[in-house]
Amino acid sequence: MLRFLLQRGGQALIAVFGVVTLVFFIQRLTGDPTALLLPETATQADIEAMRATLGLDRPMWAQYIDFLGDIARFDLGRSFVQNASVWEIIASRIPETLQLAAGALAIALLIGLPLGVLMALTAQKPVSRWTMGLVLACQSMPTFWSGIMMILVFGVWLRWLPSSGTGTFAHLIMPSIALGLLSLATYARITRSAVVDELGKDYVRSARARGVGTGRMVCKHLMRNSLIPIISITALEISQLLAGAVIVETVFAWPGLGLLTVQSIAARDFVVVQAVVLLGAFVTIFANLAADILYSIVDPRVRLSGR
Amino acid sequence: MKHCLQSMVTAAALAVPLFTTSAMAQDITIDLAGEPATMDPHKQWNPTSYYVYRNIFDNVLTRDNDGTIVGQIATSWNQTTNNTLELTIREGVTFHDGEALEPSDVVYSVKRITNKDFGSPQLGQFNKIVDASAAGNVVTLTTDGPYPALMAQLVKLSIVPEHVVEAVGDDEFNAAPIGSGAYAFSDWDRGVSVTLTRNDSYWGDKGPFETAIFRAVPDAATRVADLQAGTADLVVSIDSDAAAQLASSTEVKVLSAPTERVAYMGLNLDKPPFNDPKMRRAASLAIDRLGITEGLLQAGEIPMAQMASPAHFGYNPDVAAFEYDLDAAKAITGANPDLAATPATLATAPVFDQRIVQALQQMLNDAGFNISISMSDMPTYLGIVRSDPSENSELSFGRWSCACQDADGIAYPVLHSDSNWSRVNVPELDALLETARASLDAAVRQEAYNNVHQMVRDNYYTLPLYQAAVLYGAKSNLNFVPTANESMFLNRMSMPN
Repeated sequence: MLRFLLQRGGQALIAVFGVVTLVFFIQRLTGDPTALLLPETATQADIEAMRATLGLDRPMWAQYIDFLGDIARFDLGRSFVQNASVWEIIASRIPETLQLAAGALAIALLIGLPLGVLMALTAQKPVSRWTMGLVLACQSMPTFWSGIMMILVFGVWLRWLPSSGTGTFAHLIMPSIALGLLSLATYARITRSAVVDELGKDYVRSARARGVGTGRMVCKHLMRNSLIPIISITALEISQLLAGAVIVETVFAWPGLGLLTVQSIAARDFVVVQAVVLLGAFVTIFANLAADILYSIVDPRVRLSGR
Repeated sequence: MKHCLQSMVTAAALAVPLFTTSAMAQDITIDLAGEPATMDPHKQWNPTSYYVYRNIFDNVLTRDNDGTIVGQIATSWNQTTNNTLELTIREGVTFHDGEALEPSDVVYSVKRITNKDFGSPQLGQFNKIVDASAAGNVVTLTTDGPYPALMAQLVKLSIVPEHVVEAVGDDEFNAAPIGSGAYAFSDWDRGVSVTLTRNDSYWGDKGPFETAIFRAVPDAATRVADLQAGTADLVVSIDSDAAAQLASSTEVKVLSAPTERVAYMGLNLDKPPFNDPKMRRAASLAIDRLGITEGLLQAGEIPMAQMASPAHFGYNPDVAAFEYDLDAAKAITGANPDLAATPATLATAPVFDQRIVQALQQMLNDAGFNISISMSDMPTYLGIVRSDPSENSELSFGRWSCACQDADGIAYPVLHSDSNWSRVNVPELDALLETARASLDAAVRQEAYNNVHQMVRDNYYTLPLYQAAVLYGAKSNLNFVPTANESMFLNRMSMPN
């Protein structure tokens, strides 16, 4: 087990280093932020002075080495634009994104899993086809569209929910649904095929022969055996949710990391973009690491084959 | 279909709305496109920041809703010599912490923003001021020469309290700013909103709202939805499509005003085809400016034939509008087919309205030119348009604002050979621009600008397109007069129930 952990942990670290390097260089290839920080009337001398203030006039490799050193000390730097520590800026946004991601994941799991089971149990019946249609609709609607439609219907016409912003539980409902729809569809489809697979197996037939009821069969036998694909999907979905949050947070003015990313890219606030991308990469890499470890607990064969 | 759906949901709306929040009558909620970058008026400046902080701070001078420069912290001013301006400072003004605003705070503010080490992005607007000193209630500003645009710049110079900034430092001051304006800073919920409360002991017109909340709502469709849902009272930066959508409502209205931004097409006078005056004329004849303003933009933009607008000092009302005559343009390009076919790129950036850029390309190509669009990110675009003419693109699209409403701030950088924005190198034009920049006599300056604009018009040195407009969506009972300098002073608004 220890060897397995070390191996996976080492891979994760290499991936993190790769991301750090890529983020640093790709961002610097796309342009100089000083031009945007200064008014249009700024002279070349003003621009040079600002570059020096920000340390952007130093050679690229020197900036890179400093950057690596800072990362190793968990120092993410200061935002050029907001004049504040990046840690502070990010820390203020994380709870908002976590809330949104939790809301979306809850909707996806609580609705997606039962829908998947329902589709598997009613395969060949009209209800399965209807449900599948619904699931496909969820998957095909672009988030920016479904978000705006929900705002129009529930915020403007019905006035049941606040059209944007944050603060109360009511504010969380629409963004969570908008963000959760895609994952909901994924969960429903994966669960359906996993359960359909399991349904054909001997133990299910034996259980049925012993008179085990459908409810007990689903909860006790089928779900447990269908868990592996669902766990791996959850690891992938977490990164999907972070990516989706960029759009959902922009549409709903939800002040999380996604919105911060969009604002920072627009303002060419390198340091913040860098930190958010790094954070996203960390989360994705460690979610996958956690999934690997979970597999090995749920199914020890995974651990053995890792040797 | 929309109405059918709408009536269905309206029926459902009879159910008691559980969660709707609506702003209290004495409060105002304003949706901005983003979060203010800073609350320190001497740091970053962009409309999103100054919409908010200009309510917290008083400026040396201000402009009334008609655009006339009037006193704010300075009650009167006197140009004593070519390079000294004396300002009489208003007495009885207090900062939000109760301390009096002293002439020394004005001196401190001038020195802070002009201090190179402080690194203010606004330095370029104030760096002609070389010294400031106070004696009694008079502050004397010394410039490095005659500087006629000084008054226009002082409209943007906010007064910060020396005792606070020195005590807490720049970072803390930015996080919790203290000014002397009609509204006091109350709370900054990062990424969400900034809340201001009325300064009941303000020396001037007090604000009508107890509380003002400026929210960051980046998506324009969401801002419009907030306004329709009644959760916002005023929203900024909407386009003409959204305006059309709001026009049918009785609860909300659209407000628009021409700004001091002038859109123009820059020409590279060193490279073919536009080094030839005939081809520049053909390009101008090919552009249907009215088609762009009334067909595409529809927000109240006005076609312009000079690098200034009626909102600027130095505007020449006698410059004739550019004519649109596609056949005449084709006749010129037809007579010079090789020159017209020279490949030329039109540099642009995502921040500009691409409908205009594409329309320009289409209009020029219809007239026989060979134009392709070169779209790059903003810093790269800025690098291209500010580069040497030999490396520069043949054409560029841009919008210019100096936030000073003086032709000096727009004509000089775009047309003077010294400026890295300019691709024009005409000694006579340079001389006129210098005269206008160095004289304190308004008549002399106006005369020089009249000549500048006429020369640019006659020689097509650059192709001004239109004076941009700005659209706001507002509750129908909100009284707010949008101005050319895009100010948003809460104490000039009212919202009767």
